[in-house]
Amino acid sequence: MRDKLTPLEQAVASIPSCSTVAVGGSLLRRQPMALVREILRQGTDRLSIMTWASSLAADLLAAGGVLRSWEGIYVGFWWYGLAPNFRRAVQWGEFTVQDRSESYMTARFRAAAMGLPYLPVAPIPGIHSIRHGVQEVTCPFTGQQLHAVPAAEPEVTILHAYRGDRYGNIAWPAHRDSDDLDLIMASGARRLIVSVEEIVPHEQIAAMPNLTYIPHTKVDMICQARFGAWPGSCDTRYDEDAEELKRWLAAGRDPQTFADYLGGLLAGGSHAQMIEELAGAQRLSSLEVSER
Amino acid sequence: MSFTTNELMAYAVSRRLRSEDLVFIGVGTAGRAYTLAVGIPLVASRLAQLDHAPDLDIYLGNLLSPDLAKMPTQLTQDAITRWPGAHAPADIGNKVDALVRGDFTVSFESAAQVDRWGNLNITAIGAAEAPDVRLVGTLAQAEHLAFVERPIIVVDLSSRTFVEEVDVISSFGHASTQGSRRQLGYSTGGPALVVTDLCTFDFTGQGLMRLNSLHPGVTVDQVLDQMSFEPVIPDQVPQTPKPNEEQIKLIRNEIDEGQALLRH
Repeated sequence: MRDKLTPLEQAVASIPSCSTVAVGGSLLRRQPMALVREILRQGTDRLSIMTWASSLAADLLAAGGVLRSWEGIYVGFWWYGLAPNFRRAVQWGEFTVQDRSESYMTARFRAAAMGLPYLPVAPIPGIHSIRHGVQEVTCPFTGQQLHAVPAAEPEVTILHAYRGDRYGNIAWPAHRDSDDLDLIMASGARRLIVSVEEIVPHEQIAAMPNLTYIPHTKVDMICQARFGAWPGSCDTRYDEDAEELKRWLAAGRDPQTFADYLGGLLAGGSHAQMIEELAGAQRLSSLEVSER
Repeated sequence: MSFTTNELMAYAVSRRLRSEDLVFIGVGTAGRAYTLAVGIPLVASRLAQLDHAPDLDIYLGNLLSPDLAKMPTQLTQDAITRWPGAHAPADIGNKVDALVRGDFTVSFESAAQVDRWGNLNITAIGAAEAPDVRLVGTLAQAEHLAFVERPIIVVDLSSRTFVEEVDVISSFGHASTQGSRRQLGYSTGGPALVVTDLCTFDFTGQGLMRLNSLHPGVTVDQVLDQMSFEPVIPDQVPQTPKPNEEQIKLIRNEIDEGQALLRH
């Protein structure tokens, strides 16, 4: 093991423009927003992103105008509605969109995790999302026609998580929301950056190693980012910030209004400073929930 | 005893559910969309359990056999995390595997567009690239229509929703201009039933949407007024069966006491 604790700014500086980035989380939960905001502060540009069910991350990167393409199963604000900036950018043709159905997207990341160039999937003929990047293959044992999807090959994978030690061992709480693809994304990552709510002593991790869902061997950089998924949620830590989401959605009705909103969001200069200001304004404590 | 349209829709669905079923219900969305995607399917499944299908299993979002007595009233993250149930998979891939293997026998679908073959669109209105309106994407709906035995579509009847041909085929129904389900290589499945606020539909052997029943007081013309294509209309269209007093009381007093599910 070696020390992988890295300042958030330094971790983001290692993400080159024009790269493909896998972005973790699902729906409003554990979107790596501290990392995403820092990407926009640093002006990292022309990114191709791959997501599971994305919301805030894809919407903010679309609003920042830094996307070259998106691939995933969903972008929306769950029961809050549609993703205003992402939606507008797609309608204006600002970047390319590759819709993927869940079994095909899962297979993309599983192939990467298994070190394979592709995986076969049970075919779903005739749907829009198989028009690109899907090939027919024949099972050598049964002769059955299958679809093949290529392994996901992001240069960088960014995730937000609960806690980890300075070596990069990332642990689940025993009770959590497991509806995401972060584990598989991490297993197949080429270069993995994980922000965590809390850096804990290695002894705490070592006491229950079965909760370590991402081992240090997979992690390149671990960054501390308290409230790193804000204004989304981090299950067992804090709920989504409904008031802020409403502000976001209201601003998102108009591109200039959202540009101003985004400017305000990034104005603090750093994630740590932004969270300090929000905490000072009593904005965060009401979101906190007790871990079980 | 009088009943609401939502109660009638839930009853129509519940009649199709069996004790050996494993039904998939999504979570999310709000308002009327919540009633259609979550409320009616959940009330129908619970009614089936109490009425004629005691062993029916529900998979709601990411939770198998959720404790419906402790259903959260607000879908905030922590309320969902704390919701008791039998099982939540270690990662979402496990649920996708179960779906593709055919473990689910019934699923519930909603969409912005449905066409005469039961194709569904949740991706975009207009062209797929630079569309007029971008929607949410794909999710696992294509898997539902491919691998679930009897998917049930629950949507309100509207000529904007019921279109001749969907703009984008997010999920494949019984046929498209590319060919029939069989020609494309599907062996089974496809949407089994469409439940709307005015009527229900099923599909013919050729995969065309067919008027299956009219809700009490609704005419064929009223249905056609709300559609951009003409479904197959049999000579005799029966009335959608009405729930009896006991079933209505179960819905109101036990299943949806707080009116969280069928409010909108």
